[in-house]
Amino acid sequence: MNQLPLDPADGGGRFPGFDVIAQSGHWDRATQSVVGSRLGLLPHVRFFTPEEEVVARALFDQILDQREEPRVPVFNMVDVRLAEQQTDGWHYESLPADAEAWRRSLRALSDDADARHGVGFADCAWEQQSAILDAVQKRGDDDWHGFPASRVWSLWTRYACTAFYSHPWAWNEIGFAGPAYPRGYKNMGVDRLEPFEVRDIRPHDDPARRDS
Amino acid sequence: MGRVEDRNQSAWLLLPDGSRPEPRLRDQMRRFADDDEVDLVIVGCGAGGSTLLQRMARAGWKVVALDAGPFWEPETDWVSDEAGSHHLYWEEPRVIGGSDPVPLGSNNSGRGVGGSMVHYAGYTPRFHPSDFHTRSLDGVGADWPFAYEDLKPYYSDIENELPVAGEDWPWGDPHSYPQRPHPVSGNGELFMRGADAEGITAKVGPVAISNGRFGHRPHCIYRGFCLQGCKVNAKASPLITHIPDALDHGAEVRADSMVSSIEIDERTGRATGVHYIQDGRSRFQRARMVAIAGYSIETPRLLLNSTSKRFPDGLCNDFDQVGRYLMVQGAPQTAGRFESEVRMWKGPPPEVSTEDFYETDPSKPYKRGFSIQSVSPMPIAWAEHVMAQGHWGAALRHYMSDYVHWASYGALCEFLPQPDNRVTLAEETDRHGLRVAKFDYSQCDNDRQLLAAAQGVMERILTAAGASEVITIQRFAHLVGGARMADNERDGVVDGDGVTFAVPNLLITDGSVLPTQGSANPALTIMAVAARAADRLIRRKG
Ligand SMILES: Cc1cc2nc3c(=O)[nH]c(=O)nc-3n(C[C@H](O)[C@H](O)[C@H](O)COP(=O)(O)OP(=O)(O)OC[C@H]3O[C@@H](n4cnc5c(N)ncnc54)[C@H](O)[C@@H]3O)c2cc1C
Ligand code: SF4
Repeated sequence: MNQLPLDPADGGGRFPGFDVIAQSGHWDRATQSVVGSRLGLLPHVRFFTPEEEVVARALFDQILDQREEPRVPVFNMVDVRLAEQQTDGWHYESLPADAEAWRRSLRALSDDADARHGVGFADCAWEQQSAILDAVQKRGDDDWHGFPASRVWSLWTRYACTAFYSHPWAWNEIGFAGPAYPRGYKNMGVDRLEPFEVRDIRPHDDPARRDS
Repeated sequence: MGRVEDRNQSAWLLLPDGSRPEPRLRDQMRRFADDDEVDLVIVGCGAGGSTLLQRMARAGWKVVALDAGPFWEPETDWVSDEAGSHHLYWEEPRVIGGSDPVPLGSNNSGRGVGGSMVHYAGYTPRFHPSDFHTRSLDGVGADWPFAYEDLKPYYSDIENELPVAGEDWPWGDPHSYPQRPHPVSGNGELFMRGADAEGITAKVGPVAISNGRFGHRPHCIYRGFCLQGCKVNAKASPLITHIPDALDHGAEVRADSMVSSIEIDERTGRATGVHYIQDGRSRFQRARMVAIAGYSIETPRLLLNSTSKRFPDGLCNDFDQVGRYLMVQGAPQTAGRFESEVRMWKGPPPEVSTEDFYETDPSKPYKRGFSIQSVSPMPIAWAEHVMAQGHWGAALRHYMSDYVHWASYGALCEFLPQPDNRVTLAEETDRHGLRVAKFDYSQCDNDRQLLAAAQGVMERILTAAGASEVITIQRFAHLVGGARMADNERDGVVDGDGVTFAVPNLLITDGSVLPTQGSANPALTIMAVAARAADRLIRRKG
């Protein structure tokens, strides 16, 4: 298994056969163990309550568009960080510290789902969930359940992306070769690749163009 | 000035293979007892603190530096990985507010021997001569108690000790560097191409990354993980540029020791030592003099937390100056999309800069200016760029799959010092029960104009290099100020020698003392100012 499910129309399969882990023999030991630990079994859930877990899993699936297995275990990775109080070392004055901000914002998300559809967030249909989140994002700096919506959005997406894009499966999807010590890079410059790097087979697939 | 190795042996005190400092330096390190009255105790072993430590040890002083974080062993403690490098940052809580709060995150200051330079990018430009008197020159900011010329010899000393590699520098006070410029990656190549097409001068450097072997330090391997700590020991940080020589000259570095307050003798008004916490135990180190170098947030916090009968509102805070005039540089990053593969993460993030827009341009409505440099976000940082455009879900994944095609540049805008941009104490406490810092920031009109102008120039460079799309994220970098130098106690906290106005045997020798910030990355200037303070201190004693 070295590719996450992602439709080619959504940017999947651009680096065929590229597998970061196949290069792990070239990494130093400290790095091997840190990156390797993301692939093994993660600790039991310690921070989130079961009620929060259900909401959080659905939220992370949405933010990262993970609709089916195999998934990067974003929920578990965030739970580890919060259980170990590995915060970013700061929080906005308008939000409580991260742990509390997570609990309260998940509750608020459930309340939104309940108000709109009479069921929990995770039990809403995929499009309903997307619409709820879209509404939070669109509030910008306006209030959402007592907090500026943009700050909550930043909290959710920061944790989600830090977990997802630290995972070798996500690196395979974006062509990033991961750790580079002690080998380093020898072929620097535009369009110059190392023998172990794989070229993008769809260089014209510019998402910015497609949007506009 | 003489040969570097006659002034600072650090690079020669690494093992011959360059992998680590000679183990004897730590194993046989001199250790002072808490009740030894040392000549000087330094709080913080980062850019400013380590420079002072090395200079004073060489001068024969009995000196110990305490750091809240660990004494790093890069081979085992650091990884070649973005998320796995979180422990390099100051993770104790801080609260941010104001109308433009400054998120710290992976741009946060460091914790541990070497300070923030352990994970800084490595750019080491000098300030321009104009930075030392912006008030007289442009009517904004402040004048320093000394001029560029006073700092110049220290700049060149430190540039030789780090050492710095780069092309001959045409801006500010034109100068050259001890090492030749590094080759550049795709990201830097496009910068040069775009700037050239736009008639903008761009130069390679200046970076504190050794180009070739320096002493026993190895050559850079262009792996790109400078912001995660350089395991190779090619990039300069005090851990390898100043601490080895300090230890060899009888200094002590006491890691994992969090200073909680400075003790003042109520009768004489002099500092007598520092209270600190190690392994859960409260301890007190006696000292004849104290220097604080804990970074622009922790230094004001420590002063404010050090209350006494004499200083009920915090040490050195008689005139409500502590924590004020804290500055960040506006650091928007603009990225451009290329048909070719750029793979910007290859090679060190710091490569190419332009200072063409650094000085006040009389034809513009704003004062002061900005510089532009190459930066190259790793995947997690890059995901922040993409999310800043409002993308999430499928659009986020799609954008991210395009990562190999993007080049990215960052500006450093000279935000002006303002009294209300400051550190105060929050109600929230850390695990030691000490009140944490609250950091408020609000931009002024000039600041916002600089941001827009800098973004415009970055877009020009990228477009001229062939980018089909450009995107920008607003960021901030490099906190300095908060306990600034001034001519008198009503305008600042320390004098030009770093000595506090209120306590004659208390110094501050980190980035907190800078009255202005220019558009240059600050570490070289912080070290040069600390080296100058050391020199003045040594002469004063004699
Ligand atoms: C991601 C990033 C990139 C950067 N890139 C660049 C760059 O390219 N060029 C550049 O010039 N600058 C760069 N900087 C900024 C630069 O690293 C800092 O400005 C500089 O290191 C600050 O020096 P300092 O002496 O003020 O504090 P630091 O170097 O941060 O040292 C402070 C030390 O004090 C310790 N400390 C704090 N409080 C206490 C206490 N109470 N008790 C004991 N110890 C304490 C801390 O643990 C820390 O080790 C970057 C910074 C970051 C975060
Ligand atoms: S790119 Fe060079 S300086 Fe930066 S971390 Fe790698 S080896 Fe060190």
